[in-house]
Amino acid sequence: MKTINSVVVLILFSICSITVYGFDFGGELGKALKENVQKKLGDNSGSTANVVSGLFGTSQDEEISIGKQIAGNLLGASPLVKDATLQKYINNVGRWVASQSERPDLPWHFGVIDTKDINAFAAPGGYVFVTRGLYQQLQNEASLAGVLAHEIGHVIRKHHLKILQQSSWVDLGGQALARQAGNNEKVQQLIGSGAEVMSRSLDKNAEFEADSIAIVLSTRAGYDPFSFVEVLQGISHISGNDDSVAMLFKTHPHPDERLDKLNVAMDNSFDNIKGVTLDNRFYRIKP
Amino acid sequence: MKLLKVVLILFLFLTTQQVMAVESGVALKTEAIKKEPFSDAKTIATLTTGDKVNIFKKDGGWLNVRSAKGNGWVRMLSIRKGDAKKEKTLVDSFKGLASGRSGTGKVVATTGIRGLNDEELKSAKFDAAELHLAESYATSRSEAQSFADKGNLKPRALDYLALPQ
Repeated sequence: MKTINSVVVLILFSICSITVYGFDFGGELGKALKENVQKKLGDNSGSTANVVSGLFGTSQDEEISIGKQIAGNLLGASPLVKDATLQKYINNVGRWVASQSERPDLPWHFGVIDTKDINAFAAPGGYVFVTRGLYQQLQNEASLAGVLAHEIGHVIRKHHLKILQQSSWVDLGGQALARQAGNNEKVQQLIGSGAEVMSRSLDKNAEFEADSIAIVLSTRAGYDPFSFVEVLQGISHISGNDDSVAMLFKTHPHPDERLDKLNVAMDNSFDNIKGVTLDNRFYRIKP
Repeated sequence: MKLLKVVLILFLFLTTQQVMAVESGVALKTEAIKKEPFSDAKTIATLTTGDKVNIFKKDGGWLNVRSAKGNGWVRMLSIRKGDAKKEKTLVDSFKGLASGRSGTGKVVATTGIRGLNDEELKSAKFDAAELHLAESYATSRSEAQSFADKGNLKPRALDYLALPQ
């Protein structure tokens, strides 16, 4: 009884919020969302979490569909490094770090893509890619964990989804985004051309937030959080004229600014935390 | 025999070159030099903004440094590592040669070797097979747990940080 009550309250609340925020999403989409919520009430199998995520405007299934499309496009531009041990290793590290977040049960996927660029990408729904160029800068497993935790931060705080909602959500025309295995044209309309959304800058504060999440999640996972600080320090030494960091520097605040912000956010509270770095277990890409 | 000696010496030379790469750094603010890498350890001396240090190793958030003011441990975030003054070692030079970047300038047809740019991302076409491959490496939560256990990774409770305004 209690469950039914809270579900009803949630539904009412979500319908109200849809009305209030209706102008954000456009009438058609609001209708689609309402139908979605009603469907969940009807089949009674929708978990509370799913109904709540409806409040934000995008269900978890839709979020994953969007991420899948972006990931498939990104891989079209830059395929995986063909090293199965490496790809399994990065999934092990990433899933362990993601398990420390408030979204441990997203279908998380991690990969190393074959480009000399130094960068990492996150797409909604739990798709995270690190470039070969960045991976080769890393010294140990803790630094990899930190980089993945930064990208996990973008996913759990839905930073890219928010950008999509601001720019093209209203153009969607209220089509519910069906989950499907292959190329999804409806989703493609939403995200623009190819994987261009990956070359867009997020708000500076979103990057600082992801940095602080990187520190927290890698600490929670048992790693040395300062290994991520070392990664930023390393990148800060690369000249801005170097091709390999052109996109990273264009889309992110300068590493020195990020380090300054981390310094303030971390203060002295990590002085006596000694996590592990796992230098020996770190998988090195064969040259 | 003589050849073996030469090879040995060369090998030693190469390995020490890598190990001995000392980094320089500069103090970003007034900061204590501690006897041990802990905040409650004894303070040996105090660095002031702009003081130069040589960095030898890292332990958690602490760097082991030598400076004109004294030698000990300083909080890592209070040091900016030196501006690419790291000497190029012989190994680095070999790496440069091996990468063969000084080629003919011919664009190699293999995808993904060049850097990514806006245009490439924009014109990227959905690759279903590659996505399928990427998804095939997924790790479950329980697999991740045993991976963590093997590495002796112990979870730790910690709240998110307040963001500076």
